[in-house]
Amino acid sequence: MNLPAFATRPGTLTWLALHDLKLSWRRFRSVFGALPPRTVILILLFAIAAFHVLAIPVAQWFRTAQHDGPNQLHFYPAVASAVLFVMPWLVSQALTSTTRALYTRNDLDLLLASPLPPRLVLAARALAIGCESIGSVAIFLLPIANMNALLVGWQWLAIYPALVATGLICTSAGIGLTLLLFRIAGPRRTRLVSQVVATIIGAAFIFTLQALHVMPEGVRGSIVAAIENPGGNMLFDKSGWLWLPVRAVAGEPVSLLLWCSISIVIFMATALLLGERFALSAVQSGGAAAPVSARRARRQVQFRSGLGRALRLKEWRLLGRDPWLLSQIMLQVIYTLPVSIVIWRSQGPNGSMAISIAPAIVVIAAQISASLAWLTISSEDAPEFLATAPVPRGVIERRKLEAIAVPLGCFLAAPLFALAWASVELAIYTALFAIGAAASTAFLNFWHPMPGRRVAVLRRHSQSKLIAILEHLLSLLWAVAMVLAVVESWFALIPLAMVGGILWMNRPRKPVIASAPVPAAVSPAAA
Amino acid sequence: MTSRETPDAGAPSAEPLALRLTGLTKVFNKTAVDHLDLCVQPGEFYALLGPNGAGKTTTLRMVGGLLPPTSGSIEIFGIDALRKPLEAKGITAWLPDEPMLYDKLDPLEYLEFVAGLWNVDPRRAEANAEELLNVLGLWEHRFERCEGFSRGMKQKVALAGALIHEPKLLMLDEPLTGLDAAIARQVKELLTRRVKAGATIILTTHILEVAERLASRIGIIAHGRLIAQGTLEELRRHAGSMHSSLEDVFLDLTGATEKAA
Repeated sequence: MNLPAFATRPGTLTWLALHDLKLSWRRFRSVFGALPPRTVILILLFAIAAFHVLAIPVAQWFRTAQHDGPNQLHFYPAVASAVLFVMPWLVSQALTSTTRALYTRNDLDLLLASPLPPRLVLAARALAIGCESIGSVAIFLLPIANMNALLVGWQWLAIYPALVATGLICTSAGIGLTLLLFRIAGPRRTRLVSQVVATIIGAAFIFTLQALHVMPEGVRGSIVAAIENPGGNMLFDKSGWLWLPVRAVAGEPVSLLLWCSISIVIFMATALLLGERFALSAVQSGGAAAPVSARRARRQVQFRSGLGRALRLKEWRLLGRDPWLLSQIMLQVIYTLPVSIVIWRSQGPNGSMAISIAPAIVVIAAQISASLAWLTISSEDAPEFLATAPVPRGVIERRKLEAIAVPLGCFLAAPLFALAWASVELAIYTALFAIGAAASTAFLNFWHPMPGRRVAVLRRHSQSKLIAILEHLLSLLWAVAMVLAVVESWFALIPLAMVGGILWMNRPRKPVIASAPVPAAVSPAAA
Repeated sequence: MTSRETPDAGAPSAEPLALRLTGLTKVFNKTAVDHLDLCVQPGEFYALLGPNGAGKTTTLRMVGGLLPPTSGSIEIFGIDALRKPLEAKGITAWLPDEPMLYDKLDPLEYLEFVAGLWNVDPRRAEANAEELLNVLGLWEHRFERCEGFSRGMKQKVALAGALIHEPKLLMLDEPLTGLDAAIARQVKELLTRRVKAGATIILTTHILEVAERLASRIGIIAHGRLIAQGTLEELRRHAGSMHSSLEDVFLDLTGATEKAA
């Protein structure tokens, strides 16, 4: 898609925003790799149709909730939950995107060196960030809006403008928060701090989603009752300011108009007031000095020998010094745990951890192991340099796989100890199956490297959907096998045999050769 | 004396050649290196020149063990690099035009890692690291992570990495590209000292002045073939003008090849 950036007057907000949107679209398009446009359109149409089908039960529920049905009391709590679910996600996305815009810079130097006012640059970039964030939830929410409009009432189309308004407000909040962090933590630490904050905020939306499930029935009932009869409590007063976005989403015209107006004012104020600060922060982020370890600076230089030690130490240093990467990996843990808590809770007061928490640990072990294996094998910073060393490639890769065992152990130690507190036997079972799951996904990544840059650890599967499916399948099979083994069923051998089969079919058929993140470097053009 | 006349250019010696390429060929979609014969004597500073896409980098990558040749042989100090790659890699170093570093490591940690890969005695590696970082003006930055370094500083760290294990054959691909005058001089002085100490250096460069001043012999490559090699005087004689600059000789020879192609 080529947006007509040149059809508008150069130097205007529309012109710059279209330029940024074109870049956003190309980033999104790159997710589909080299697929032809027709295939991409078909995939998108299929996804949109599928989400519309999935939205039908939601629309049916809302029909009973809005028209004096049995769910009437739950109508406002449900809409409020959706708003609480979406807003942290949008703020988290804006925070991450603003930090990335400040630090990866790309064309920011060019834009800020041009005679365009910084507030215009920020406004255009903020619009692009907002569009990206809104797009990430629109694919789930808009089908609900459409099906609700079709089955319940046209007022549900209010979700469209309400979502845009919410996106603008959350983007403004994300930008403001990033610049505040920049001021407090300084250019060197902001990247990490903002990532941690974004992770926490992003995780909040998962916990919000699960909160109603995890809450005891009595608490849930009292909240519903409080919303029905707030009795002066502002927190639960549906007609108060706090509930303005909820009323806007529900399609109340005055609230919707007010919410949209507020969003435009906040967004414009952000661009006008923070434009200069954004430009200054971008300049400072470029000059952020690399950290020097004071402890290391004090000690004497002392080299030690050993190939294995050198390789392991290198991997641990690279992982340990990139908290951003570790926080990305931690996201996987954070997003997996609530599901297992829900499963546990759903089994009532005597819920078994063997079929809720323990399999989740096995799945997490497999996923973290895959991420770490990918980081060490596929996203090696200097693969060609290693290829010039007088060490067989197999030895290097074995040492790398050894190196990931330690951080993996660190990640799993706490949940395993917690499990051992409840049942030592279950903890031993879990540890054994977690090791098996971790080894299998690590070997899969070892045998089928997918070269890429370290920052793309969570997007690594865009290169091979098959490996992604196999990774998830392996982790699930190990989890199922563990549950069956714990209940002492011989059927546990079936998923284990399937794991063996998958690994056997995916074994390397030829020697694993150097993975090069920049394949163009080996092309004849480099000669 | 040119390669067309004999592949064994340079003075004869009882010691094995630092590098002997025989019929080296690499074919991608098209032929990048075409039956290349090249000999480099121990202790020589050899410059490989050629237009973009001539096959210089592909040649060095094959010698460094990064690319398998389609055909031909590579001998490094008498070691068959295709049959015994680890043995050959043990005495060579390859420095690409884009420095290959780990941003999250500081120069000392990087050098310690390289020393570990080449199994250098830790005490010797420490002494070499200190000397190299001092010579290259990096000692003050030894505890700073490479992510904050300029391109020139990164190139110097990578050069220190290439030298810490005291390779007998050092291959440098455009080592001075993007370096400022002061850093380029430091690098040139260090390389000259290494050659005087007995190392063999092969470098590719687009800066003809560098080849003219540093190299004892120059090879000119075009379309994957060595079209001429020798000292500057020999190349001038080959081009038929004793008063030409290397630039004139280079353009004359590569221009003639372009026309022939």
